[in-house]
Amino acid sequence: MCIAPLAVLGVVFLWPLAASILASFTRGGAYTLANYETVWRLYARDVGYTLGVAAAGAALTFAIAIPVCGWLRARAFGPVEFLLKVPLFVPFVVVGHALRVFLAPWAPGLAGSWAGIAVALAWKHVGLAALLLLGAFRAVDESHLEAARNFGAGTARITRDVLVPMAAPSLAVSAVLIFSSMLASFSIPLMMGRGGGAQMLMIDVYYRFGQHGDFETAAALGVVGYLMAMGAALVYLRQLAPMMRRARE
Amino acid sequence: MTRLITRAAVLAAAAFVVLGPLVSLGVWSLAERWTAPSPWPQRFGLKYWSRMLTVDFLEPLRLGVVIALVVTALALVLAIPLGYVLARVAFPGRTLVLLAFLMPQAFPQLPVFASATREFYRWGLAGTVSGVVLVHLVGALVFAVWTMTAVFRALAPQLEEAAWNLGASTTRTFLTVALPLAAPGVAASAVLVFLYSLDEFTGTLLVGAPFVTTLPVYMYTASQGYELQIASVTALVLMVPGAVLLLALERVLKSEYLVFFGQL
Repeated sequence: MCIAPLAVLGVVFLWPLAASILASFTRGGAYTLANYETVWRLYARDVGYTLGVAAAGAALTFAIAIPVCGWLRARAFGPVEFLLKVPLFVPFVVVGHALRVFLAPWAPGLAGSWAGIAVALAWKHVGLAALLLLGAFRAVDESHLEAARNFGAGTARITRDVLVPMAAPSLAVSAVLIFSSMLASFSIPLMMGRGGGAQMLMIDVYYRFGQHGDFETAAALGVVGYLMAMGAALVYLRQLAPMMRRARE
Repeated sequence: MTRLITRAAVLAAAAFVVLGPLVSLGVWSLAERWTAPSPWPQRFGLKYWSRMLTVDFLEPLRLGVVIALVVTALALVLAIPLGYVLARVAFPGRTLVLLAFLMPQAFPQLPVFASATREFYRWGLAGTVSGVVLVHLVGALVFAVWTMTAVFRALAPQLEEAAWNLGASTTRTFLTVALPLAAPGVAASAVLVFLYSLDEFTGTLLVGAPFVTTLPVYMYTASQGYELQIASVTALVLMVPGAVLLLALERVLKSEYLVFFGQL
């Protein structure tokens, strides 16, 4: 009974994962690095573009989430907190389309550009960032805030000098999770429309596989994606360590 | 007074940023004529909403719901016993099993699903509903196994120990003591998995193509054909289950579940 879910995971995820890594080192049945050479030749710019869009998206997410959560930490204000949770419940595909039709009439050209993709990614992830940050900020003891307030610090100052440093570990975890999720984003950039020029890495994988039918190069692009996602995997591991310890006790 | 103004300003800004794109969907869904460079549609109407009543739209909706129901049932049947074992039995490799069920969340799914599609071609599963159910099941199991493990772990073990002491078998203890106590968690997990499957796009697009169309895929196809209105109607319909859930369960849902929603 307990083997069945593992079998599903193995057949539908772990085996295809291994097969794609293997395929990335072969072409026409022979072992070679030719696929990586193709990736380097054709897609080096897209790798940089993907890193840049994800960095911009993550920066924007936290530029919004940190001040708003600091403000909400000082005073509970239900309506704003509710609004922040809304993006959590909007599926990725819908986000991509909604931001496309939101931006297109007033800022044509922005929707499919790197900035438009970064804005859409930030829109979707701000809910998750706010949820994690608000939890971390609320865990900071009130006495620290009172001490700062007694010295005349305002909300902005308290956020910068007390809340952010004290919540640094949670902040770092959520930043890595959100950054890697943005690196691997597919449906949002796909729905935003594909202009000319550089593309997000997962869009390249999709077209390389779907339109060129070149699975080997697509797999090599995928491996680049796996390596970039390693950061997230390591964070998951570190985050889980205390949970595992608790479970063992 | 200034405080009131600040609050109003923050609320207005948040409302514009969060609701703006969603309102745009509504405007587009009603725009019968909207040509650039007009900042506003020239003619409003329900033409595109009435398209909802055609087979084009209803068939993907029906298929998506059926797939989501099957995926939810399978995921729960598979994840509940495993979650219970992971929560209660210390066996070597337990950590490894839990970590394995995080991998689909931590790794980019698209290249893996592309690879799975290739394997599915070999097994005759590509382009079939069974193939789509299988690919949804992987993501669903991530949510289900982790929520069920957390749910069973949160139950005090004393009640189950009492049942054992009175001579009940492990199966009986599980079915008559642990499972009823875990019912609210099972329900939350079911809702999460159902929504995940209903909204799943990447796996459906790859494995289901070209025969299996659910609403997210239908929406993508419509937007590719520049039928932005149809895509907007579909997007609004896709948001309904999530919106109902947000409004109904906002207070009930614990933040640990909400974190999962952020990854749908």
